Amino acid sequence: MKIDWAALGIVAVVSISASVLFVILLASSIRLVSAAKVRTNQGGSGTAILSAGYALLALAALLVLFCIYLIVPQFH
Amino acid sequence: MGSEVTAMFVVIVVILVALIFDFTNGFHDSANAMAGPIATGALKPRTAVIIAAVLNLVGACLSTEVAKTISGGFFDDELITASIILAGLVGAIIWNLLTWLLGLPSSSSHALFGGLIGAVVVGAGFASVHGWVIVSKVLLPAVVAPAVAGIAAALATVLAYRITRKTPSRQSETGFKYGQAFTASLVSLAHGTSDGQKTMGVITLVLISANLQAPGTGPQPWVIIAAGVAIGLGTYSGGWRIMRTMGKGVVEIETPQGAASGAATTATILASAHLGFGLSTTHVATGGILGSGVGRRGAEVRWGVARKMVFAWILTLPGAGLVGGLAALLANFGIVGVVALLLLLAAASSVIWAFSRRHPVSHHNVSDSREVLVLASASQTEYVDDPRVTTTPKTKQKTKKPKAKSAA
Repeated sequence: MKIDWAALGIVAVVSISASVLFVILLASSIRLVSAAKVRTNQGGSGTAILSAGYALLALAALLVLFCIYLIVPQFH
Repeated sequence: MGSEVTAMFVVIVVILVALIFDFTNGFHDSANAMAGPIATGALKPRTAVIIAAVLNLVGACLSTEVAKTISGGFFDDELITASIILAGLVGAIIWNLLTWLLGLPSSSSHALFGGLIGAVVVGAGFASVHGWVIVSKVLLPAVVAPAVAGIAAALATVLAYRITRKTPSRQSETGFKYGQAFTASLVSLAHGTSDGQKTMGVITLVLISANLQAPGTGPQPWVIIAAGVAIGLGTYSGGWRIMRTMGKGVVEIETPQGAASGAATTATILASAHLGFGLSTTHVATGGILGSGVGRRGAEVRWGVARKMVFAWILTLPGAGLVGGLAALLANFGIVGVVALLLLLAAASSVIWAFSRRHPVSHHNVSDSREVLVLASASQTEYVDDPRVTTTPKTKQKTKKPKAKSAA
């Protein structure tokens, strides 16, 4: 019986990159949405930034959906 | 004829005890997902445990990867009897209750493995345990998993704070609050997929050993549903003592940290569950929370508490193994032994529950303090049958309408 280092390595790489990616998307989305609000309050138009922020949020949601898809055997 | 009735009785008892274990698993691990959002106020305690319970149930029904591993890899299936499994479960339940009393988030998975291994060794000898499978599928991931989740959470926390550095803190707070509630829910789901399956694996093992199911087949639908419901109910009941340690004891969590550690915990659990590791959600979640503490500048990580947890982790496998081994000695005396074992389990559970009532922690006071008190200090690790115990009144503990549940 050998230790499955490759599997452990995959777990490490996937876990770290997935969580970092998710947080980047979430944090950027929060930053943009908030920036859009600030701009609107100052009388400008924040629509473009706002939609970019929500687009990132949607990407984060997609990432999560993909993860759930991965673990449900019925989908394969 | 009589022996068949006995065998059937034992099988039924084992299935029931397995479901009780699943319940303790649920309330022991509720905190892994929900301690963070409850501590930061992202979710109300009641709401949090309801979400967690439902998602645990859903998760348990989703994936059956680990369930196959448990029944197929650790032992020679034909050597395992129902009474050995019963003894292992008893060891795991008692260990879970003891660590819950102390508010220590030890691994339910390790308690289960330890109890089973102890019982198998007593019942069938060392040769029947596949040592290498345990090393590669349990011990090694147990070291790697918290490290991975910790690194992931630390990196994610650093990034979360850096990216939102210029964002007004009230707005980022709110945004991350949703993020945290969301990732915590994902942890619950992942927990269901990972831990719900352990009980399924055990019940399947029993059914196979009693020739009620063909070897090498997966869990049956009623087993999946029963296990899911048991873990869901356990999760709903809260495990508030451990919740306090995880949410307040190790590190003061802010919402961006919570979102980061939740994401890291989910990713690590899902990745390893996908590859069939019997991975401890507790180790991963604790690693994630610690990592998020390291990642935020100025966050105070209480390494003393962390050290205590690590000791509990190390003790879990041999500790539960010892109880499981002793239980196996008793369970070998046929039906009388089994009944005696059940009575002892009920007695031990009641005593532990009675002790928890001295300093109860419930959804009312879970965030009021960061210490979980058993007696005057939290150093009581023995079987709690000591009559000389005195109650030292401790201030700061609110005792309004406590709610704590025993598993028996």
